[in-house]
Amino acid sequence: MRILYFVLISLIAGVLVGYFLHPDFGNTYEIMLDVLILLIGVDLGMSINSKEIKRLGKKSLVLPLETLVGSIVGGTIGAVILGTDLKWGLAIGAGCGWYSITGPLIAKYSAVYGAIGFLGNLMREILTIILYPIVIRWVPKEKAVVMGGATTMDTTLPVITKFGGREAGLVAFVHGFILTAIVPFIVPIILAL
Amino acid sequence: MNIFVFLLLGLGIGYLLRRKGKRVSLEVPTNAALVLMIFFLGVKTGEVKVDALWLLGSSLLFAVLTVLGSMVVALGVSK
Repeated sequence: MRILYFVLISLIAGVLVGYFLHPDFGNTYEIMLDVLILLIGVDLGMSINSKEIKRLGKKSLVLPLETLVGSIVGGTIGAVILGTDLKWGLAIGAGCGWYSITGPLIAKYSAVYGAIGFLGNLMREILTIILYPIVIRWVPKEKAVVMGGATTMDTTLPVITKFGGREAGLVAFVHGFILTAIVPFIVPIILAL
Repeated sequence: MNIFVFLLLGLGIGYLLRRKGKRVSLEVPTNAALVLMIFFLGVKTGEVKVDALWLLGSSLLFAVLTVLGSMVVALGVSK
């Protein structure tokens, strides 16, 4: 659990540095992400075998659909609570944590809801990083993967693999991969309604 | 799509290491890369300009509800 404290301290330090100093780190974030994904790939390559992948099969296909449906329902409830057009809630929910695509797509129709689409999905990613290690005390590790939505293929994959283990990491990658393929189609369809 | 390149490259390296019977501990480099990545994610978040508390509150509401929605459906639909 010690790494969790480092992660939290690191996140808070990063937010403070970003807020007060506005440093230009260029694409360092993307580079670190690539390094992490490479290390995860090496770790998976050293340990997975074909039997393990076959065992994941059905579970990995059902989870993304559950994530998408639940996320859209959550977004709809959010829109009802805020008293806004349901379309914004549906689109924000359908983003499934992919803030870099959801925000800009919604911003084409509304700058305010584009900002909420970006921030809400960014916060989902951050919540997953912070809460996944805690939630898996009560929820099965593979099920808790749904928290991260589409981000489980990349940014939240390290945390899931670290705390949930390799099998949860494999489920997370397939889960994120399927959602990443779906989200760019679903969000524009909802916005065009 | 960069992600796939690095993941496949890593899988290839890992597979080769396994075939050669070498087991490398990646705990320290993975933890270090994770902490650094989270720091830079924090920097990105800190740079986002928010001009209204409502914007933040609404975003947090959507974040919590979408996470909860997915969890409830996933836990409720399949055991």
